[in-house]
Amino acid sequence: MWAFLGSDVMFFGAFIATYLVYRGKSLNGPYPSEILNIPITSVSTFVLLMSSLAMVLGLHYVKEGQKNKGTLWILAVVVLGAVFMGFQFVEFREFAHEGLTPRTNLFGTTFFILTGIHGAHVTIGVIWMAFLAYGSHKGALRSDNALDLEIAGLYWHFVDIVWIVIFTVIYLISANDGPPAGIESILHG
Amino acid sequence: MANLWQKLMHHDGNGWWNLPHTASNDLNPPYEGPIGGAWFGNLWRTVTHGNVSHAGPGFYWLVGLVLAVITLLEVWLFGLEGLGGWYIPILMVLSIAKFAGVVAYFMHLRFDNRIFTYFFVSAMIIGILIFSLILILAKYGNQPVLF
Repeated sequence: MWAFLGSDVMFFGAFIATYLVYRGKSLNGPYPSEILNIPITSVSTFVLLMSSLAMVLGLHYVKEGQKNKGTLWILAVVVLGAVFMGFQFVEFREFAHEGLTPRTNLFGTTFFILTGIHGAHVTIGVIWMAFLAYGSHKGALRSDNALDLEIAGLYWHFVDIVWIVIFTVIYLISANDGPPAGIESILHG
Repeated sequence: MANLWQKLMHHDGNGWWNLPHTASNDLNPPYEGPIGGAWFGNLWRTVTHGNVSHAGPGFYWLVGLVLAVITLLEVWLFGLEGLGGWYIPILMVLSIAKFAGVVAYFMHLRFDNRIFTYFFVSAMIIGILIFSLILILAKYGNQPVLF
């Protein structure tokens, strides 16, 4: 799993670097300053962060052989992950209503690809956790094979740390980005 | 009451605040408590050493609380005016702190064999070098196509 995560660092790094290369170079709106909603995204960031806490507690209780507590915390991961996906779905739909799609401008292209791929990772993680919660409930996931949950947990925490970077780079740092300097001369010669 | 204290603080193998240094088969440290003594010593070893067993839930709640507070701090800084050129460096430091907190404690890298740390950190360093190079080339090389 650590080898996979190492390769995924490169994968996400490429998309984050692409976003930064094209940051502030969109010639038409909507621009980040017009569309990003920091308070809402802060809540979804908090939700994902707490899902990591639920994950580590779930692993702890499964290792301790406390089946019910383990199942409950893994289910909490599923619910919190699904809530995060819900936030992302609402955000994407809102952006589309405001006129921002992957084809609108460079910000739209790089934003949707990066956050969309992250969302796909979260979706896979939620499905994986749902199976593990079911396995824990049925007694198939126990302290002697908790490594299965530990590996899934590494994946889940990785998804969380990628979002920590995305939240900082795209949302907090870029939230005041408007049109590039000298846009009038670029557009009208 | 004494039973609750024992459950929360003492290293009976399942203590809620059980810190990674004290594996379930360790003898109970003689001076454990919320401040000082073996408790603080164990916390310090948790932060500074690897290759120890995993933590108890209390420790994870503490890490989760710290991460949540850092996130709140980031959002507060976002609404704050007058930071100027300090805004991005401060955010980067806070982001790195959160990143390190999750990797070290939630992903158990701090408690695992050092080889995993070397592996992950190597990937991070190579990634940061490659993508920094891309950013430098994009800034000072040919300008990208705009639309």
